[in-house]
Amino acid sequence: MIMRPGQQLLLPANPLFIWGSLLGAFGLNLLFNMALWGRAAWAPDLLALALVFWGVHQPQRVGMSGAFLFGLLMDVHRGSVLGQHALAYAVLSFCAIAIHRRLLWFTVPSQALQVLPLLLAAHAVALAVRMMVGGHFPGASLLLAPVIEAMLWPLATWLLLLPQRRAPDPDANRPL
Amino acid sequence: MPLGTLDRTPPPFFRQGASALSRLMLFSALALFLMVADTRFKLTGPVRVTIASVLYPVQWALVQPVQWSRDVFQNLQSLRSAQDDAQLLRELLRLQSPRAQQYEELALENERLRQLLDLRQRMPTPGLAAQVLYDAADPYEHKVVIDKGLIHGISAGAPVLDASGVLGQVTRVYPSMAEVTLVIDAEQAIPVLNTRTGVRAVAFGDPSLHGGALELRYMGTNADVQPGDLLTTSGIDGIFPPGLPVARVDKVERSVESPFAQIYCLPQARVDGATQVLVLPSLAGQQPARPQDAPARAGQKSGNGKGGAR
Repeated sequence: MIMRPGQQLLLPANPLFIWGSLLGAFGLNLLFNMALWGRAAWAPDLLALALVFWGVHQPQRVGMSGAFLFGLLMDVHRGSVLGQHALAYAVLSFCAIAIHRRLLWFTVPSQALQVLPLLLAAHAVALAVRMMVGGHFPGASLLLAPVIEAMLWPLATWLLLLPQRRAPDPDANRPL
Repeated sequence: MPLGTLDRTPPPFFRQGASALSRLMLFSALALFLMVADTRFKLTGPVRVTIASVLYPVQWALVQPVQWSRDVFQNLQSLRSAQDDAQLLRELLRLQSPRAQQYEELALENERLRQLLDLRQRMPTPGLAAQVLYDAADPYEHKVVIDKGLIHGISAGAPVLDASGVLGQVTRVYPSMAEVTLVIDAEQAIPVLNTRTGVRAVAFGDPSLHGGALELRYMGTNADVQPGDLLTTSGIDGIFPPGLPVARVDKVERSVESPFAQIYCLPQARVDGATQVLVLPSLAGQQPARPQDAPARAGQKSGNGKGGAR
């Protein structure tokens, strides 16, 4: 196995944690929408970020079908055209799988920069769908959403890799 | 095997399933099919209702802390602001009470006159109180979600009011929730009546104007519309009962180039912060049937059947 320089060997990812984190991101999306920022166009889509993250780190576990199903859930919750988020997330997941061999060789800030075009593309897909169906353009603050999501990439990397960073056999000296 | 982990699983028997690109094709086609079925053929109602029913407990559980925090916040409001609110409401009540006292008499008089003239009676419409749960998160549309649905007897198309005017119309019903499209949504149009002049018009939602407004389209440059005119529902759509305040004319622009005046109106209802709303039953089933042969003859005469209103 070729290791990246200075890289820590990680534990295997727990599938329960992966799907739990995706569900958690979906729940946070719902909560932030209902509690904080309503229909603001700049609101970051945490589920999209989590899908890219797992698409890059565990491409064999989180694939396009999962992304598609989560997209349908988002569509129903947001009351948008059925299939809009599903298409955006499928494209997102495809791009994540396409770059997954390359992306992890870079530093985390550089990764965030390279994830930005993916998220931009996903939002562009959603925008194109809505413009074709006949919605009104919600304003230039829409551009802010992928930027915020990309800026959250280091946080996502730190948070979602925490369970894999534990020591393989905990003992008295290494409780975690 | 992912890069740099201790993941050790035997390699799969078949090295790969379908390639990523072909899977993308499949899912894109499926998504496109869903979109067309949703927007053009309206076939996806059952799918939506099924997913919404699965989603509802999650949404309900998540909205509870939000509502608790709202309640706590309201309880923490100072005595002073509560007194101010009460003062304001007393003032409002004082202004409204003479008109309310006249209402009974006028309603009776109206009924007698209508009987005398052999006109159709206006039906009193019982409403159903509902609470706005949250703004639907879609930035391309202006919708709110209310906490009453199919099991409470709400049907799609029902008018929704708040304390000060028409808020919108129910456009999608789930078992225990409903989506209300606000009057300022670009897809929403509502027939109105100018109370000063009695002229009928159609008000279209225009969300691009300073945070949500309505626009009276197709009014000639010489139309008698002034800023400050109150627009109420005209009732000719058979959906909204007549006489409910919708908007007030804010600005009228007349230009030489355009045959139409540009008339901007501000909604009377609180479109960005309504919490308590009233859902009226849809009047759609109570209208008399349309004469069948009239449109056909009109079509033969003019030769083209242009659909005007959305």
